[in-house]
Amino acid sequence: HSALTYQPVARCSVTKARAATLQLPHGPVPLPIFMPVATQASLKGLTPHQLDETSCRLCLNNTYHLGLKPGQATLDAIGGAHKLQSWPHNILTDSGGFQMVSLLELATVTEQGVRFLSPHDRSPMLLTPEHSISLQNSIGSDIIMQLDDVIATTSPDHARIKEAMHRSIRWLDRCIDAHKNSATQNLFCIIQGGLDLELRKECCEEMVKRDTPGIAIGGLSGGEAKEEYCKVVTTCTDLLPDHKPRYVMGVGYPEDLVVSVALGADMFDCVWPTRTARFGNAITSTGVLNLRHASYSADFSAVDPDCKCTICRPVSAGGLGLTRAYIHHVAAKETAGAHLLSIHNVHYLLDLMRRIREAIIADTYPQFLRGYFSTLYAGDKTKYPAWIVEALRGVNVDLMVD
Amino acid sequence: MFKATASSGSGALRTGVLSLPNRQAIKTPHYLALASRGAIPHLTQDNVVKHTGIRGAYMAAEDFVEKGTPILNYNPPDGTSRLRAYTATPDNHVLILGARRSPPVPSPGASTDSHMSIMTAFGFTKLQDKTFRDLTTSLNPDIVVGLGDIPYGYYKVSYKKIDKITNRTAKWMQAHVDERALAKKEHGAGLPLLYAPLLPISAESQRYYVDHLEDMAQDIQGLAIYNTITLGDLPGHLKHLPRLGLTEPNNPRAVLQDVAQGIDVLTLPFLSGITDAGVALDFQFPVSVSIPEEPLPLGVNMWDTKHATDVSALRKDCPCYACTNHHRAFLQHLLSAKEMLAWVLLQIHNHQIMDEFFAGIRQSIDRGTLEQDIADFERVYQPELPESNGRGPRLRGYQFKSEGPNERKRNSAPFTVYKANPDKSDKIAQKDSVPVPGPDAIAEDLEKVGFAEKTE
Ligand SMILES: [Zn+2]
Ligand SMILES: [Zn+2]
Repeated sequence: HSALTYQPVARCSVTKARAATLQLPHGPVPLPIFMPVATQASLKGLTPHQLDETSCRLCLNNTYHLGLKPGQATLDAIGGAHKLQSWPHNILTDSGGFQMVSLLELATVTEQGVRFLSPHDRSPMLLTPEHSISLQNSIGSDIIMQLDDVIATTSPDHARIKEAMHRSIRWLDRCIDAHKNSATQNLFCIIQGGLDLELRKECCEEMVKRDTPGIAIGGLSGGEAKEEYCKVVTTCTDLLPDHKPRYVMGVGYPEDLVVSVALGADMFDCVWPTRTARFGNAITSTGVLNLRHASYSADFSAVDPDCKCTICRPVSAGGLGLTRAYIHHVAAKETAGAHLLSIHNVHYLLDLMRRIREAIIADTYPQFLRGYFSTLYAGDKTKYPAWIVEALRGVNVDLMVD
Repeated sequence: MFKATASSGSGALRTGVLSLPNRQAIKTPHYLALASRGAIPHLTQDNVVKHTGIRGAYMAAEDFVEKGTPILNYNPPDGTSRLRAYTATPDNHVLILGARRSPPVPSPGASTDSHMSIMTAFGFTKLQDKTFRDLTTSLNPDIVVGLGDIPYGYYKVSYKKIDKITNRTAKWMQAHVDERALAKKEHGAGLPLLYAPLLPISAESQRYYVDHLEDMAQDIQGLAIYNTITLGDLPGHLKHLPRLGLTEPNNPRAVLQDVAQGIDVLTLPFLSGITDAGVALDFQFPVSVSIPEEPLPLGVNMWDTKHATDVSALRKDCPCYACTNHHRAFLQHLLSAKEMLAWVLLQIHNHQIMDEFFAGIRQSIDRGTLEQDIADFERVYQPELPESNGRGPRLRGYQFKSEGPNERKRNSAPFTVYKANPDKSDKIAQKDSVPVPGPDAIAEDLEKVGFAEKTE
């Protein structure tokens, strides 16, 4: 009941980082990987060809949004999300539950499913694990996610967190039963349990038994302390089988990616790189630059001089050779300005993952980590966040010692 | 530079080729893309190259003027034109720079002998004539439209005013030509071509200036036309020059009339407007269908939910990127989801339709059938572009729709204009036929599309 193969390529001899190739129904995907989020079957003004050019081979669509628009009937008529958006590569969809709970104020979770009031006429509605899977079957995504009971990790209600963890296991069973396309779509379970490591361990054990093709660690990146985040990730990866992909949901800041890979995670997604592009923010190896700031109006260097994306590459290398000054000139004034920065930001993160993978294969990931943070903080170790130093010490890399 | 290849009868109508060193030649009549802050709306520069047939763009100096005008500090690699490198305009595209956008936002302040009022991203400001000339030299486009005191948006220009704007424009152009003569002596060649703006009044009414232009003939390589009324009595010594139309035609019919009166290269402000409205243009020129009972719309409103499951192209057999890679259902989805890609794809498609439109116009002129072809076109298609009830992309603060105090008088159409039945043409805006499920959809709609179920 799996439509993927996980082919290990290399393991870091010091940290828990892994490099692999994930064979999915729409082609191979290099792990570790960052997945950009094309919420409504489109990545913020980029054509599928432009997304392809960033080297993206697996992107996200959101089930909640596609369920509303264009809706299941239309998706069935068109033949799924690949055909809707003319995307020849892989798609991963979430379950819709998280967005419902976070976007709709009055959503409540019961054993049946997520209850919510229709935003317009306030009539009560219900999204069950069966609905979610049925929608994702219509979407036809290569990886689908179970409906889980999402609680903010910062919730003080321990009993509720425990209930949510157990319910997520029961819902996984319902999702497995409801899943009609296991030959073409891979269902991933989602480990819950808040910041309670014992609950997380119990959840890992139960869900691993269900033997889904891949495993996600959910409920994180909701504002918990980074130290706590790292503890949960590393606790889970210790218990997860070697031969399955591990996906940490909702993570996308470059330093989070770099650390999480060292902790043994393989897959990540986040709306941040494209959302932040809309506000004129460029991700670079020396940090995030807000190009709307007046100081960039006469800065004629590339957005990131080391970047090989279409925007940053000089004309002599077949790129557009655009400058920070030009992005400043169009940022927030022309839609194309946001498109240009989205191309750069997505390319930057995908290229970061490529460099990470190369370092793992060369077994130089510890050196990569040192170099990465040294560049990011201009060699000033006093600026290294404690959580990063601590988390990497846990996997045998001490950034403070050269 | 510009060579007329064929002209029709005694009128100004002609086909030709505009060729500049190192640029792709432009067969005329043709159109230029209109850039906003150096970008063709919605299109990143890589998409322009890969997915459009665009040959050139018109840019406005006012889009680059700001405190300290930082672009002037840019020194692009390999000595490329500053404006071209800054905006990543492809090497083989013709780049034309004028003072103001087309159409410009009407400015509250009148011009003086030494400045005109322009609109920048930071509001209205004064542009000195000398500053403009220096700017054009420094930005180094292929073609500069000289500074003219164009009375934007006025239907009637008083005699007193005609006197003023004529003298002023003559003075500005003379200064520009004199400076160029000096610069050429000092630095040799390498200056942009200079097009002289003609005021939007008859040539006779601006005779003082037109006579001046004869003296400057050596250094004027083209004309910028703001109203085709000027072409009615254009003196012989200016006729061989290419004519850039900044006439702001508001639909394909108006384009045909402008071309019929002798415009060689046009800018088309309606193009981005129709894209923003969510309309995919769909018409042919010359027409190949028989006259329908009711005139056909010039485009398809992609907001209409009847397209929601339609996997056919925006226009049947269209070779454009949007039509060969995507379908109506996706466009409809993108629009209703307010996804920016909708306008990217529509912009690509609509420029394709313009490429075909102008290819058809050239054929028609070469065959000598333009008059008949326009008459047929006006019988087959509705006069106005379709309106849509959908909202365009979010407008940015400074992108006001420019509306002049009153409509400018144009030359009367040389060829028949058929009035469509006003009762019939009103039906263009189509009502939604299927409920659109969205954040404000009612529960029944959500259930209907298979999203969750109603519990009570
Ligand atoms: Zn870049
Ligand atoms: Zn097309």
